[in-house]
Amino acid sequence: MRLLGTARLALNRIWATKVRSLLTMLGVVIGVAAIVALTSIVDGASQGINKSLATLGTNQLNITAMAPDALTEQDAQALAGLEGVSVMFVQAQNEGTIATQDKRVNARLVGVSSQYFAAVKPEIALGAYLSDSKFAASAKDVVFGADAANDLGLTSDMLGQTVKLNGQDFRLVGVLDDQAGFGTNGRVYVTLDAARKLFSQYPYVSSIVVQADTPEAVDALQVASDRLLRDRYGLNAETDARYTITNQASLIAAVSSITDTLGLLLTGIAGISLIVGGIGIMNIMLVSVRERTREIGVRRAIGAKQSNILTQFLIEAIVLSLAGGVVGLILGQIAAFFLAIIGDWVFSIQLETVLLALGFSLVVGVVFGVWPARTAAKLEPIDALRFE
Amino acid sequence: MANPVVELENVRREYLVGDQVTVALDGIDLLIEHGEFVAIVGPSGSGKSTMMNLIGCLDRPSSGVVKIASDPTSELNDNQLTSLRSKAIGFVFQQFQLLPNTTAIENVMAPLLYQGISSKQAKQSATEMLTRLGLGERLNFDRNRLSGGQQQRVAIARALVTSPDIVLADEPTGALDSKTGAQVIDLLKELNQEGRTIILITHDLDIAASAPRRVFLRDGRIERDERGSK
Repeated sequence: MRLLGTARLALNRIWATKVRSLLTMLGVVIGVAAIVALTSIVDGASQGINKSLATLGTNQLNITAMAPDALTEQDAQALAGLEGVSVMFVQAQNEGTIATQDKRVNARLVGVSSQYFAAVKPEIALGAYLSDSKFAASAKDVVFGADAANDLGLTSDMLGQTVKLNGQDFRLVGVLDDQAGFGTNGRVYVTLDAARKLFSQYPYVSSIVVQADTPEAVDALQVASDRLLRDRYGLNAETDARYTITNQASLIAAVSSITDTLGLLLTGIAGISLIVGGIGIMNIMLVSVRERTREIGVRRAIGAKQSNILTQFLIEAIVLSLAGGVVGLILGQIAAFFLAIIGDWVFSIQLETVLLALGFSLVVGVVFGVWPARTAAKLEPIDALRFE
Repeated sequence: MANPVVELENVRREYLVGDQVTVALDGIDLLIEHGEFVAIVGPSGSGKSTMMNLIGCLDRPSSGVVKIASDPTSELNDNQLTSLRSKAIGFVFQQFQLLPNTTAIENVMAPLLYQGISSKQAKQSATEMLTRLGLGERLNFDRNRLSGGQQQRVAIARALVTSPDIVLADEPTGALDSKTGAQVIDLLKELNQEGRTIILITHDLDIAASAPRRVFLRDGRIERDERGSK
């Protein structure tokens, strides 16, 4: 019998026992739906984390001073001379007070060099950045992070008005949008010159950020920066902790490997339910072989080969499993869609997920269908015909 | 003998039940020629079911030679035996044994499809065969909507559709009332007159009497081989 004819027999049988077939599929449906939904949660979560990390700056090395007098603006200028450096900026920061006429709160005051806003590109909610071109004229201007602005109760009509930082007058020129990142929303930005007058001691800075031309160049730049700073300060020992250099790329890699592991773990757990679904199919197929022993005998008598019987039962198991996989995929994607809305990440149907779901259910059908199908094919025609 | 389709030569078939050997057939010699109508008759336990299995290529002898359409079955593997069965034998069973969840025409198509014949051609042959047997109006009925006699006619159509060398009917009237049973026997006679070889397995002497040749079995041996109508 041709394969198509055998497939029709299998489909007829599944259709003839609709309720049983549906219940049998259910295990695979749940397994596949769980895998699809969990994969999408993990994808969404790592998407979110990577977005947060990306706002910290790509291709960047953060060189952080371990003492107030550890790094200087001259260090920064020397680093800017290294090969492969595209952007560089420095920050000096300290705790301070911010105040309007009505209110006074604590905040983190950050002095930034002129390249800062161009490099980090934070979204702006009101007004403007401390722009690179007019930086020198901005010595009395201030830009607020979203939380700092909220804490002080700033409103849009206060743009251009005076606020006090550590008791000195500054003009409010901009408020940043809510930013992903660690504690960045509580900051208040002024120019590096202004920061010197507010709190820092020239020429010391709290951190220097160096950005490489390309992501591939970051590692080499890290080695070069470290060597340069060691030379400048005559440091030899690895133990001398004047500064630390952190590499955004390695941070992203570390976080990705954590989310990957988490994803693998969750998918593994969902995979167990898929195996349970497969065992369900095998169980029903074995029952079915027993129930249909006489039918198998008659088919053998009228000319069915062992391979015809094997194929018929195997196709039946595969169709059950694959149909379960398709339904599970659809349910899983629907779940993923709503999870994406709740978790505020981008919903997308990944080709990988579709192939994974269908591939897994196909494999489950074959693996758990082979034994019952072989049992059916190996029945002796005489015994099968005589079976009551 | 001009053209034997069944040749049994000193055939012995024994079964191992537990650790005991049971002899079902013991030294059977039998020739059935093409175009014969033979009844194999015997009470239960006489060995007639074993005989049917051997002639039907469902089983092989423990010793001796069984040749069906000149092929010795002992030398064939499962696939070859299935091919021979598919080509040479058409089965008619006592309980009709129509396939579940299938219509009359699908039942009759099945043996052709297992031979690898295209579905279109199989459908045509099956339609012709069912129409010949008076079921042209019931092609798409499933077995629940067919009477016993109709079901047995579907089964006979299924047995005939491959044009086998032998139609092997196992108690074909056993599940039918006597009137319908008689019609089935008449149909078999008619088919025989067209030149088909019919082997009828039965325990019923009256049914056996309708066959021109009767082979009586008892305790695994041929007791009598009668020819001519009574």
